[in-house]
This record gives sequence, C-alpha cells and structure tokens, in this order.
Amino acid sequence: MFRRSYSVSHLPGFGFVAILTFLMLYLPILVLVIFSFNAGVSQSIWEGFSLQWYEAAFRNRQVRDVSIRSLWLAATAAGIATMVATLAALGTTRTGRFPGQTMIYALINQPLMVPEVVTGVALLIFVAAIKVQTGYTGMGYLVAAHTAFCIPFAYLPIRARLETMDINLERAAADLYATPLQAFRYITLPLLVPGILAGFMLGFVISLDTVVITEFVKSAGQDTLPTYMLGQLRRTVTPEMNAIATLFLALSLMIVTAFFLITRKRGA
Amino acid sequence: MAEQRESHLWKWLLCTPALLVLVLAASGPLFIVLAYSFLTPGTMGGVRWEFSTEGWFRVFLQRDIFDPDEVRWNQAHLTIFWRSISLSLQTTIICAVLGFPTAWFIATRPPHRRALWLFLITIPFWTNLLIRTFAIQELIRNNGTINTLLMRTGIIDSPIQMMFTDFAVLLGMAYVFMPLMVLPLYAAMDKLDFRLVEAGYDLYASRIKVLWYVILPLVKPGFIAGSILVFIPSIGAYVTPRVLGGGRTMMLGNLIALQFGQGRNWPLGAALAVVMLVIVVTTLVLYLRWANREGGQVRV
Amino acid sequence: MKDQTARDSVEIEITGLSKVFGQGAAAFSALSDIDLTIRTGEFFTLLGPSGCGKTTLLRVIAGFEQPSTGSLRINGREVAGKGPNARPVNTVFQNYALFPHMSVADNIGFGLKMLGKPRAEVAATTADMLRLVKMEEMAERKPAQISGGQQQRVALARALAPRPRVLLLDEPLSALDLKLRKEMQGELKRLQAETGITFIFVTHDQEEALTMSDRVAVMSAGRILQLGSPHEIYHAPRERFVADFIGDTNFMELPVARLEKGGAFVTLPGGSETRAELPEGLTPVIGEKVTVVIRPEQVQMAPPDAAEMTGTVESATFFGTDTHVHLRLSDGQGFILRRQNSARTEEPAPGAVMGLKLSPGALRVLRD
Repeated sequence: MFRRSYSVSHLPGFGFVAILTFLMLYLPILVLVIFSFNAGVSQSIWEGFSLQWYEAAFRNRQVRDVSIRSLWLAATAAGIATMVATLAALGTTRTGRFPGQTMIYALINQPLMVPEVVTGVALLIFVAAIKVQTGYTGMGYLVAAHTAFCIPFAYLPIRARLETMDINLERAAADLYATPLQAFRYITLPLLVPGILAGFMLGFVISLDTVVITEFVKSAGQDTLPTYMLGQLRRTVTPEMNAIATLFLALSLMIVTAFFLITRKRGA
Repeated sequence: MAEQRESHLWKWLLCTPALLVLVLAASGPLFIVLAYSFLTPGTMGGVRWEFSTEGWFRVFLQRDIFDPDEVRWNQAHLTIFWRSISLSLQTTIICAVLGFPTAWFIATRPPHRRALWLFLITIPFWTNLLIRTFAIQELIRNNGTINTLLMRTGIIDSPIQMMFTDFAVLLGMAYVFMPLMVLPLYAAMDKLDFRLVEAGYDLYASRIKVLWYVILPLVKPGFIAGSILVFIPSIGAYVTPRVLGGGRTMMLGNLIALQFGQGRNWPLGAALAVVMLVIVVTTLVLYLRWANREGGQVRV
Repeated sequence: MKDQTARDSVEIEITGLSKVFGQGAAAFSALSDIDLTIRTGEFFTLLGPSGCGKTTLLRVIAGFEQPSTGSLRINGREVAGKGPNARPVNTVFQNYALFPHMSVADNIGFGLKMLGKPRAEVAATTADMLRLVKMEEMAERKPAQISGGQQQRVALARALAPRPRVLLLDEPLSALDLKLRKEMQGELKRLQAETGITFIFVTHDQEEALTMSDRVAVMSAGRILQLGSPHEIYHAPRERFVADFIGDTNFMELPVARLEKGGAFVTLPGGSETRAELPEGLTPVIGEKVTVVIRPEQVQMAPPDAAEMTGTVESATFFGTDTHVHLRLSDGQGFILRRQNSARTEEPAPGAVMGLKLSPGALRVLRD
C-alpha cells in the first residue's frame, strides 16, 4: 500500500485561493489585451480578429506625440536619476554611520512614502510660483519632478549591487598600485554596470507609469501617454485605447523582464 | 580625526546632486504646501498673500451661508474622510485575506518554480496602475464585459450599476495593490523554518492550530509590512477612485485635487494635503516603532 | 635563531605604533605600543586569536589603515600617511579578492598595468607568474571558473607579479580544506624560497604558525606578547597567554623552595622538589607560589618508586597515535599527560594511581 506522505506545507484551500488571486490579477489585463484585437467597436462582444485599432492608434497624431514625449521624458528623467543615484549610492554604502546619514536616507526615500497626490499639488504650487517669476513653461518642470520621483527606484538596485560588492576588491586594486580613480574605472564601475542598468530600467518604467505627478505639473500641451489616457477615460472608450494600453504593457513587460534577467544572472 | 571628517565631506559631496534634485522637486515643495495652507484663496485659483486660518477651518467645519457665525461640521468632508479610511482598511483586509494564501502558495512551490510565480506577482506591480484600473473599468462598466455576459446569458435584464460605487473603488484598489501585500508576506514566509511547522505537527497540533500558533506569529512582520504597504497608497489613492468612483465616491486624494481645480481653494487643498501627509507619516512612524521594538528588519 | 647572519638587513621597522578606532567614550585601541623589526627575506608570522589586532597590524603595514601614532619604515623609508598604492607591499587577501570580471591573466597583470609598465613586460611577467604558480592552463578563465585552491594560487601570483619587497598574507589558507591547506603550506614555503621576498603571514592557527615561520609574534589585545622562533615560542613561553594559546599545557601553582642560578626549585604535590627554569629578570620570593608550566608530552609514566609525583586517573581519551590521560594530582590540581601509543599499551583505567616523572628542564616558571 502506498500512501501520500504528510505534507507539512499543505493548508487546505490555500492553493485554490492563490489560483483565484492569480486569475483575478491577470484576467482583467487579458480581457483588455484580447479586445484590442477586436474587429468591432465593442469591448465585450467578440466580432473577429483585426488590427484596425492598432492602425488607428498609429495614425492618431496625438497618441504619437504623447508617446514620444513619454519616452523622451522617461529616458531623460531615468538617465539623470541614475547618474545622481549612482553617486549617492557610492557616497552612502559600505561606510559606517556618518553625520546626516539618516537625513540622506529619509530624503532619498521620501518620494516612496509621500502620496503622489500630495507631491503633485506641492509641485503644482511651486511650479506655478516659478512660472510667474520666470515665465519659463518648458519641459524642465516635468523632467525635474520625474527625476526626483525616479531617484529612490534607481538608487535601490545600485545600492544593492554595491553592498554585495566585496570592498576588498577595491583594496586589492589600491594595493596593486591603482589610484582611487583607476580603482573606480577598472574595478568598481565595471562591476556596478548591471546595477546601474537595472536602476535605469526601474527609473524608466516608473517615469512611464507616473500619472498623478505629471497631471499636476504639466503645462498645456505637455500631456504624456498616461495623462492622455486618463483624459480619454472620461469619454466613451473605443478599443483604440486597448491597443494603446496593450502596447504600453508590452513595453513595460519587456523592460521589467530584462531587469529581472539582469539582476538574476549577475546578482550575487 | 581630520581624515575622517574629510571622508564625510566626500560622502556628502557624492550625495549632493541627488539631494539637490530631491529637495527642489520633492521635499522642498512640501513646506510650501504648509505655508500655502495659511493663506487666503485667490478668486481665480492661486492665493493672496494674506494670513488666514480659513483653509484649516474648512477641513472639518463649515459656516452657514446666511449666518457666518453659525458653525457646523462639514458633512461632505467628513464623509470623504470616513470613506477614505474605511475603504483603505477594507482594501488592506481583502489584500490580506487573498494575499496570505497566495504568498503561502508561492513559498511552498519547489525552489526552481518559485521565481516564476514570484515574477508573476511582480509583473502587475511594475505595470502601469492606470492601465490596470482601465482594465477593471472595462470589466464593470454598464456595457462592460461582465454586464454584457450576464445579460446575454439572460441572468439579468438590465446592467448592474458597479461603476461609480464604493464597491468599484474597493475592487480597483484591492486589484492594483495586491502585489504590495503578497511580496512582503512571501519574504517573511521564505525565511520561515519549515522544521518549526513540522515540530508543530509532531506535537499533535492540527492544521488550523499550526496555522494559528506557529505560522501566523512567525510571519506577522510580513503581515504588518504588507498592511502598511497597502494602506498607505490606498489612503493616498487618486487615480483609482477618480476613474472608478467618479465624482460621487470621492476619496481624500480627489478632494485635494478638486480644490486646485474647480474648487479654486488652494489653501483648503493645501491644508487637506497636509492632513493626508500627517495620516501617512503617523502610520509609518507607528510601524517603524513597532518594527524596531520587534527587532525585525525594516524593509522600505 | 637560525642563519641570522644571512638575514640581518632590516625590511620593516615599526616603532611606538598604535591604532585607535573611534573617539571619545567609544574609542577602541586596536594596537598599542607596537615595536617590531622584520628582517629581509624572512617568513614572519603574526599569530593570535581573532580580535587580537594581527589583521589590523597587517592592514596598517599594507596602508589600508593609517596608524594613530608611531612610525612605520619599509626598507628605510617612512610610509605612515602613504596610501596602499604608494607602498612596495602587496597583499594576499583572506577571500583572495580576485577581480571577478577579469581573466586570471588580467588579474595577475593588473598591478604591473597600474604601475604603467609596457604591455610586453606585463605579458612576460604574467606568463612567468602563471608558470611559477602552475596555472598556465587557466590563464583565460574567470575566477569563478576555477577551484578555491587555484584561486589561492592566482591571488599569490597577482600579489607577487609587481615584485613587492614584502608580501602580506591575511589568513590565506583558512578557506581551504585540510588536505589542500597542507599542500599550500608547502607551496608558500617554496614560493618564498624561490622569490626571496619577505612574507608576513597572519593566522590564528598555531600549528600553521609553528610549521611555516622563521619567527612568530604572538599577539593579544593589541599587543605583541612574545616574539621568537617557533621553538622558543613553544618551549619557552614567557606568559600564561602564550603558553595557553600554543599547544596543550599544564599549569600548576607551586611554592618556591629555594633559588639557584637561572632557576628555582619548586615543591611538587607530594613533597619532592624539582628545578624549574626562570624567565630572565624574574626573582620569585621563597615560600610564595608561582605558576609553572609543562607540556603534556614532557611528562612520563613511571613506577611509583621512581616517580616525582602521583595522580589519579579521571579519564582517558584515545587519539590514535597517543592517548590524553586526565589526572587529578594529590593536591587536587588537574593535570594532562600525553602518552605515545603502541599496539600493546593498555588504556589506563579511571581510578588507577599513576606515577609521573617530568622531563629535565621542561618545567618553566611564568611571568604572571
């Protein structure tokens, strides 16, 4: 007679609830993606496969403009955020406690804690005041706001990477006659690259997703893809929106997957 | 010790660019909000530079339109505050009830599969919140997927009104914040020593008793962390209640935004924003105190 | 002190050196008042338990830490205040610290490259070093693709490649298993003989220190307690800590019966008197108790009529080549005897009374 061994990790019903949760997480997205390929205008009745909504999205000049603006903004903000976060990570890791350390951590993590809507209205007030003073209405405000918001996300993987890096490697380099700059150039930087890449990707995805802050900071004609979508959602939505959302999801998914591959393969 | 001071200076110099951006575009403006909450609203939005506590007054109270001396509770605001807190707590509970079995399910998969399940939880976390909210909207609209299906199969005759209700907001928030509960719970379970569970069974405990007396106490830090991670963005939610709740089921975030839009009362909006910040910071401080007392690791 | 004449030029001279970490109430003195001279070409070992300051001293010599006070001369030049990249000293790290993103050959050539040597010279020296540590086959591998023992060899080659005056080794063998460790001990001795470079070796393993070193400095709590050849350290410990840290030791508290030139007669439990060696400059008071030490292998079993003292067997532990017999002496003090085994020797039974005889000259008085 064979009997199943007593599984200590089994808890009745848990597997069922878990599968239900996964379904709940993915079903709405799946429906959204499926109907982006619908031949009809309905979001609930399947009328055959068609790419017409994708064509419509590509032809839509406004969609093209906001997409390009979103990508440009994400690249710029994530780029700057990654640079300054790398410096900050170099300054704050692998050291004992130093005066002001807690304050630096609090400042870096602050965008994670404060609700976006609070940061949003704060920036709205601040930006309005500067606009009155300087008359400048360019993309600078959005770049600054997104950069600040991306910093904690870019900082995390870089710092994690630095913390797992053996400090003896740089000591060994110094011992082998490398100047501090050479040690950074030949040892620290090459080993930090995966962390920096991961930080940039996280920052990029976060900037792409940021809707509330953008909504409050943007001037006229500075819509990004998310604020454009938010505006459109009030109207009757056609599957063109599904197509845009699907493309957007695909982009995020690619970056996140790449991020996981980088951090997993090269991770400690 | 001059050598030490010099190296501190270096650390600060390296942090300076990041801190500059953060102070200018994130932390600094928060103080301006505080200042604006004590000014007088301008007629076309904005403020006049006159000191006033009217903004703060109006957070919870209101004056009679005809008799300014008659002060009453601001029922509309109280309702919104209550809805924000109540919906956030309900969201946290739903996420905990569904998230615990889910995290347990992932933690008990064979190690090589675990990464994939974890990845599946993380993906929604990194995909656009607006898009996920939009997906929910498409499901529960009056002519959305669910209502259409139900009507086509003849279960109902007229669509069930789900959009613009508390239910819609609750569903949306539980949906978008679920990964924030599962991830810290999983982290706690991953560290769980399963020999302790075995010991529980060995000492004649039933599954329920092992769950109650062994597993739950051990993963409590994950529970608390997850609850904080869900509760804080729920209190601060703006997009989800705006899209799914509309004007009738506003939450605090929407009330704040309203003052900077049609409301044209920036000082009131600023005061409300400060209140929201205080709720969030208080929650965080209570949590950090608790975590320090428990001696557990604090993951932010 | 063997062939001192051939090796009497000074490589490293440390005087009055101290190192304090932190400040105020939290200040911790990691090294105090170190005076030390290391000769050119010697295999010098810093031995002590963890936290004794041996690694800090090594790091001060390497330049990773700056001394709080005192002077440090390498080959006659003062280097206190200079960074590690400005000292003719290279380190083999405990965990090897091989650069994971560079090949074995690039790791070995790194120091020469940083010194700005021409590419051809870097390549030639790298090839020499690969041959020296027998790693020619592995030149293009990454550190993660070679074994622990091989990583050890690469770390050695990398540190030797720039031909430093002094090689510092920070517990380099501690990560290896026993068999590989023995092999590498021989390898290190060979490399030192072939290169003639001064080695400063840090370890907490007393056996490793005794087998490999020309001289050993035993450290505790930031100080050097005793410095000498392995033979001196083992057979003539001056302090209780040194005697206790190195090998098994019997300590006894015994009264002084009378003094003699360079020695003292102490009264053993049971009443017989025997001579104990005195450390230089110590004159005990007659009648008062002193601490004496004797190694367990310097005590023999003897028939009761020829014994100097007796003990009752409490337990015996069989180790194969020898047996450790735990005894209780007649005055109640514990005592260990190490007896060589042969196929015919019987295990002593608990409760049996055993006569003991001490090897002449093996008993030493300690400075307390």
